[in-house]
Amino acid sequence: MIDFLIGLFLATLITALFTTRLYRLLWWYSLNSLMLGFLALFIGRELDDKAMLITGIATIIIKAIGIPFVLKNLSQKFHFVRQVIPRIKVQYAIMLIPAILVFTFYLSEPITHMIKSNSNYVAISISSLFLSLLLMIEHKNVAPKIIGFLSMENALFLLGITATEGMPMLVELGIFFDLLMAIVVINLLFHKEEMKV
Amino acid sequence: MMLSLLLLPAVLMFMVSFSKNKNVSIWLSIISFSILLPIIKLFTLPKPYNIWDTYLVADALNTYILLVSSIVGIGVTFALMTLDKHVEVSANSYRRFYRFFAIFWIGLIFSILANNMGIYWIGLELATLSTVYMIKTNHSPTAHKEAWNYMIVGAIAISLVLFGVILIYASAKPILGEEAMSFNLLLSHAKEIPSPFLFEMGFAIASIGMFVKMGFFPMNLWLANIERASFYPVAALFSGILESAVIVGFFRFSQIAMKINYSHLFAFVFIYTILTIFIVSFLIFRAKDFMRLFSLSGIEHMALIALFWVSGGTFAALLHFGAHAFLKPALFLSTGVLESNGKYRIAGALRGYKGMKGALFWFFVSLFLLAIVSLPPSPMFFSELYGFGAMIETAKQSDHMLAMIGAVLFLLILLSVIFYRFVAIYQSMKYEGEENEKKVYTSELFALVIFTLSLMVLLLPSSMAFLRSIS
Repeated sequence: MIDFLIGLFLATLITALFTTRLYRLLWWYSLNSLMLGFLALFIGRELDDKAMLITGIATIIIKAIGIPFVLKNLSQKFHFVRQVIPRIKVQYAIMLIPAILVFTFYLSEPITHMIKSNSNYVAISISSLFLSLLLMIEHKNVAPKIIGFLSMENALFLLGITATEGMPMLVELGIFFDLLMAIVVINLLFHKEEMKV
Repeated sequence: MMLSLLLLPAVLMFMVSFSKNKNVSIWLSIISFSILLPIIKLFTLPKPYNIWDTYLVADALNTYILLVSSIVGIGVTFALMTLDKHVEVSANSYRRFYRFFAIFWIGLIFSILANNMGIYWIGLELATLSTVYMIKTNHSPTAHKEAWNYMIVGAIAISLVLFGVILIYASAKPILGEEAMSFNLLLSHAKEIPSPFLFEMGFAIASIGMFVKMGFFPMNLWLANIERASFYPVAALFSGILESAVIVGFFRFSQIAMKINYSHLFAFVFIYTILTIFIVSFLIFRAKDFMRLFSLSGIEHMALIALFWVSGGTFAALLHFGAHAFLKPALFLSTGVLESNGKYRIAGALRGYKGMKGALFWFFVSLFLLAIVSLPPSPMFFSELYGFGAMIETAKQSDHMLAMIGAVLFLLILLSVIFYRFVAIYQSMKYEGEENEKKVYTSELFALVIFTLSLMVLLLPSSMAFLRSIS
């Protein structure tokens, strides 16, 4: 089940890279976060780690439901450009994304050797990090860049779950708090008279 | 109790910033001065002092950095009193600036005093996010664009730091469990870490994140562009306080890395910082406005601090850090006056100051400009002497002595390029261009006096002895 969820996590991120509509992008981000939340719940149950279970529930509520909802509202309030065409053409992206995946698996090989459990998952989380960076790079508009930043945070969260079998609860909650703060700042940055994003 | 005292001024500042009273700016300034009181109290307590369990622990190093940062904060507050005299800023933006300054301060307290990698990261992220809005206080399209740039590049940098933290935590978790987040425990068990390679990877990635935040190679210009676009007190906060929070993290991580494999750490930082100074020195040579000039010079000094620190010149690094933290905000705050009439013009910027206030301003700016290029008796002169001494000592003990001494000489040539440019700029400010009358306000002078006095205190034998005791 965990393999299936982690596959879906990666698949939703890859699909987001090809998306040309903003609401679809939000939808893929929401699904990506949902998979992450389920992963935390499954791994937490396997390890009997209550903190990870709480984190999983918080991920689903905040990242899979809350943040996409807030971002959709913001996009309607400030009339975001909804057509978000990636700068990298589809035919090149099709070649680039597998190359990134293979490269990160090769790059993370020395690290994965040292991590006893879930070593492949670590490689996947590092490749997700690179793919999120690609999402930020390939778009000119601000909104997809924000999704890229949030996806990057998801990739790091996955790394935290898989490489360390969960970070301390206090740190996880702090990261959530910072994420909420980021959303507040993003909201403030979208000043109505300067919305040419 | 101590944590409440430390956070109280920031919380009060946050609450008062919502008031629409006419005198709110005076109240905000008074409250921001009070941040110094609990820090002085903390400074006098025996160390290490547990502020919040083992999560926040005050030791000599972080208390010194917090004290320096609070003095810079107060100096910036003085300059903020007359911000509207030099730039267009609405009352609402002014209050919002303080609101985010309060959040920034809370983030800083957590990151500077953290004995936990996770809490350090959370504090740093909070401080980074709050500065995004500070940039936006300037309602210009450039500032708007740069605020987004800061948000995105800052987020990437901070994510790299978190990536590094996770790898470091993963490397030490088998022996320390959840306590692997603690800096102190990591330091005392550094030799027992089962996967040193994993730690080193984590350290390198976290360091690159911190270096990007400080504007090191390859991101040399992003910080300069942001500081150019925002109001001058924001640039002063960046250079004097935010970079302190970043460098304290580097100090903590590198202390552990030194115990794991010193030669790897030294080679990594040495090559990275020399590359940074190489590029920055030429960018400084081409700089055509004060903000970019001071910002690029800040990158050079942060690179030197990192280099002195890993070379074993802890005293030199801390002295250089203190001197830079006072000098650079003072110079950034002076740009408010220097650029108020002549826009970005350097020629003649130091001419046209009348009266006692004008003469004092002219004197202070000259003093700061010459001190930043390490002319004696600037504390930077002494820190560079000790720092380069430490580097030569390290070179003597290494297997590549000649190559390293060659690199040190190369570094000195680069510093001479920067020295030459600053002296040329000073001469242009003083002896070229037109003479336009400029106005200096008492609060701005007072800020510069605070920085000058702080620099003088740094030179006292007791201060030097204190810095030596940290090392």
